[in-house]
Amino acid sequence: MMRWGAFFATTVIVALIIIFQWPKIKQNSKKDKLAFFMLLLIGWVLSMFDLPNMAGPTTWIEALFKPFGKFMEQ
Amino acid sequence: MEKGKISSLQMAIMIYPTIVATAILGVPAITAKYAKNDLWLSPVLASFIGFVTVYIVHQLHKLFPNQTVIQFSEQIMGKVGGKMLGFLFLFFYIPNIGQLIRSYGEFIVDSFLIKTPISLVMGSMVLLCAFVVNGGIEVLGRVAELFFPILIIGLIILITLLSPDFEFKNIFPMFEGGIMPSIKGAIVPSAWFTEFFLLIFLLPFLADQEKGMKYGMMSVFAVMMTLVVVNLSVYFVLGETTSSKVYPVMNAVRYISLADFFDNLESVTMALWILGAFVKISVFYYVAALGTAQWLNLSDYRPVIWPLGILFVEFSFWSFPSAMETSRYDIIAFPIYGFLMQTVIPLFLLVIAVVRKRLGKKSKLS
Repeated sequence: MMRWGAFFATTVIVALIIIFQWPKIKQNSKKDKLAFFMLLLIGWVLSMFDLPNMAGPTTWIEALFKPFGKFMEQ
Repeated sequence: MEKGKISSLQMAIMIYPTIVATAILGVPAITAKYAKNDLWLSPVLASFIGFVTVYIVHQLHKLFPNQTVIQFSEQIMGKVGGKMLGFLFLFFYIPNIGQLIRSYGEFIVDSFLIKTPISLVMGSMVLLCAFVVNGGIEVLGRVAELFFPILIIGLIILITLLSPDFEFKNIFPMFEGGIMPSIKGAIVPSAWFTEFFLLIFLLPFLADQEKGMKYGMMSVFAVMMTLVVVNLSVYFVLGETTSSKVYPVMNAVRYISLADFFDNLESVTMALWILGAFVKISVFYYVAALGTAQWLNLSDYRPVIWPLGILFVEFSFWSFPSAMETSRYDIIAFPIYGFLMQTVIPLFLLVIAVVRKRLGKKSKLS
């Protein structure tokens, strides 16, 4: 399920970042610009998901170290 | 990439709040859960990891004086291996910052700004930190220098005001269950001590590099002493109930009441704590931005600062449906994950680098 509020807020923030940062990044190398837009794109795409209830890096890490987690929760 | 320089004293002043800020928030309760009344010993045991980590960092720094771990792991492991390792570090730090910001937000929303949406609390902090990181390492050093004395003096005053409520008998009998409880209690704080690995990102920018190790070690010692004093003060006041609190320091501070004038110092405590958290998040933010830019071979880290800010806020929600899940991560995964990424892997890197250097010398001689 999408959380529309989060998605719209992120869209606005991404737009603001582009508006304010573009004049500074314009003269940077192509690679810098690509990294800037790729990271923004990743952030924007992620905002379309219901992140709190989605498995992610921390869930994988918790699963990876499950025996340790059990030891700590004894 | 980074043209600024800081002094080794500034480095120590930056790293101290980076470790202490969150370590005095929930960690005393977690330590008390395992170590009970011997909780004062746990930070001492845990600091061993800190000293070892600083030593490893210093040795790596001596081999590669002008590079961060993202850069020199390519020289140690080769191009592909180095990039993979660099990815592992970023994959460690970026979600870690998310979790850190979430802990910050949960604390503020839970204790004070009850009706404010947590995303606003976290977002405004990220915004502020992004401005600091944008200023570069010199600005970061000065921000830390500005807030460090306030933090220390505030902490000393709070503990002094709290001292009339101390029940020294709370910590007796010592070592009733042997030393094992304190050792288990040391596991979670030791994760905070592994964060001294962040120094590897700061050492290349020191103006006085030869003092880096000395100040790093001093910083570990200062953190250890602070945690011992805080743990003791909290336990003197709260006793056995310490382990049941979420933010035991805040509960302890409520006991302060001097001449009906110094009352309700929770807000002062929170203000002090925010200063620490601000430095902490900024240092982590800087490391993540610098690391990402170096990993992608960019010419500057400034283009990635703002996009990373969005990612941090997203990671602060990702797989954390509740505050409980967020703090549980600190117990069941972070200690081992942090130890692996920030102490064990650097040790491996060091061993490989030293062995390769020796072999290289031998082949040159023959």
